[in-house]
Amino acid sequence: MIMEKIAELFIILILVSVVLNVSSPFIKFAIKLYSFQSLMLAFYILMGAVHFNSINLYGSFVITVIFKVILIPYFLFKTLKKVKIDKEIDMYIGIPEAVVFAGSLTLLSNLIAQKIINTGITFGSFVFTISLATFLIGAMLMVTRKTLFSQIIGFLTIDNAIFLAANSITHGMPLLVELGVLFDLFVSILILSVLILNLRRNVAV
Amino acid sequence: MYELILILPAAALIVSIFADVLWMSYLQLAVSVLVFCAVVAIALSFNSITIFLGGFFFVDYINLVILITVSTLELFVAFYSFGYVRTEIAGGISKRKFKFYYFWKNLFVFSMMVSILSNNLGIYWTGLEATTLATALLVSFNRTKESFEATWKYVIMCSVGIAIGLFAIVMLYFTTSQIYGESLKSLSFINIMHAGSKLDKNFLMLAFILALVGFGTKVGFAPMHNWLPDAHSQGPSPVSALLSGVLLNTALLGILRFYQINGAAGIYYPRYFLIGFGFFTILVSAFSIIKQTDYKRLFAFSSMENMGIIALGFGIGGIAVIGSLLQIFFHALNKGLLFLSSGNVLAVTHERKIEKIRNLSKNFPITGLVLLFGVMGISGMPPFAMFLGEIYIMTGVFRSNIILGFLVFILLIFIFIGLFGKILKMYAGNNDNDERADELQSENTAHPFMIYVPLILLLVSSLLLFYIPSQFLNIVKSASYEFGGKIIF
Repeated sequence: MIMEKIAELFIILILVSVVLNVSSPFIKFAIKLYSFQSLMLAFYILMGAVHFNSINLYGSFVITVIFKVILIPYFLFKTLKKVKIDKEIDMYIGIPEAVVFAGSLTLLSNLIAQKIINTGITFGSFVFTISLATFLIGAMLMVTRKTLFSQIIGFLTIDNAIFLAANSITHGMPLLVELGVLFDLFVSILILSVLILNLRRNVAV
Repeated sequence: MYELILILPAAALIVSIFADVLWMSYLQLAVSVLVFCAVVAIALSFNSITIFLGGFFFVDYINLVILITVSTLELFVAFYSFGYVRTEIAGGISKRKFKFYYFWKNLFVFSMMVSILSNNLGIYWTGLEATTLATALLVSFNRTKESFEATWKYVIMCSVGIAIGLFAIVMLYFTTSQIYGESLKSLSFINIMHAGSKLDKNFLMLAFILALVGFGTKVGFAPMHNWLPDAHSQGPSPVSALLSGVLLNTALLGILRFYQINGAAGIYYPRYFLIGFGFFTILVSAFSIIKQTDYKRLFAFSSMENMGIIALGFGIGGIAVIGSLLQIFFHALNKGLLFLSSGNVLAVTHERKIEKIRNLSKNFPITGLVLLFGVMGISGMPPFAMFLGEIYIMTGVFRSNIILGFLVFILLIFIFIGLFGKILKMYAGNNDNDERADELQSENTAHPFMIYVPLILLLVSSLLLFYIPSQFLNIVKSASYEFGGKIIF
């Protein structure tokens, strides 16, 4: 019981970090938030691993920490240092409106999750709600912000949401698949960083 | 035999890191010919689903059709690349740049083979995402501002699209894990098909819609298509041919797998989604083709249109499925020849705009003719094989709904006028005020392989209308049974 409460705390922190991301224009802070958010995801997976005593989930915890908490933020910081921008200035909608919008997306995902989820899932439909909300807010970040970095952050948020969903309705994907997914994600971040540097030379990012 | 298809591109990938480019182009020819021979041998001896490499990979009738398509087009592209590399190096591009060309191209083909052959949907996903990453640096090969922007759009849109596809796989995994438990077995396609109607129908439906939107982004279905014309037109021409001809089919395979699973579970309404997306894609591409000013973009929109037709065929079912499966193969060949021959024009003139290129019949006698006939072929005119695919699909559409049939027919006519009018102007139009440029540019500066490979593709594409190998026809027929297609030849 207490374990479930702690796990729920981690999940709420994921949603909080995403909403914070919406409310802040600073890119460095956004990358830090992403790292934090991934760490919370990893802890959530660890809770599951302890709870079900599953080797698969322990492995999943380790690779999540390696790729999402350490490697990807590290390379994003490195790229950011070269590009030398710190603040998102170009947004389609302002920050207050975006936060309100994020709140309504959370409500909407609660409604959707109630509809499609029946009982008997790992930690209940709560996790699924949060993952759906994270997914939608990540998508909103991608479409409302113009800076390339914000688009990457939005994409990574969407990816975290899918990992959360995979860990909420099942006990995580098989380790082999998860490793492949994370490796692809990592390489895509590298390629996007290369593209940012190249675009920087030609046009303003 | 089966393992060779995966091992050979992987070996070429590793060798290409160390080898010299010109030497590598010979090796690439050998590898592509060997892969093609292996696929032909498999196709000739194929009679039932075969699992290999510990159950992670398998060959069935559907992915065999796509496998044949990939290996055939890859063979021609390898020969074309042989000439392309030499022409571009003679034109002043450094050898070092082309080393990466072969590296990424082999990685692209390898990951495409992995995702086509995979029995495990997770591995399919990994392979498909890897194709996006492998082609990213090929699309930005020219290192111009436009190509970097196109690549950015391509990688971001496809990555997000495929991430939604991953969501679909998670949903599917949730339903199947209730039967097989949480292991790799629950993602294995063959096992999922066995489980069939025992699966949770609501989740399967949701998974199909997510897969359609997610993988559909990579197929280029209409509301999610706007990366496609940019990415396909910016890459080097051989890569454009592979992207348009076979990568779209690889992504379509994912949707078809989900469609099959839904069919096995007794859910039949996903077909209306396929019909809807297919029709909308044809509609959007028809209007886009008419106002295009760039000939490579023109062909990219034409791929979109053909993907729409193929999806429409799969949705309609029956006789149209046979048409769609044939169309997958024929479209790849025909689109390959269009991109390769337009690549000759681009390599010599360095000009992408349609209005700047006139009088191809004089300076590019063979290439121009191939381009003209290729456009006739891609619109489904009779002396070329795509006629066969399109007539089956249109028959199916007319049989199921006559109004839809007329709408599609009118759109196809629009597309034909848009394509043919523009290419005819390029071929025969006179450029009065620019006589000087005509003197300098001629196709003779291109390597002979670049001129004759599209010509051979055109001949093959024409020949296939009159003679299709009976084994290939059998494979197509058996594949169409999976979607409920029935036909008496």
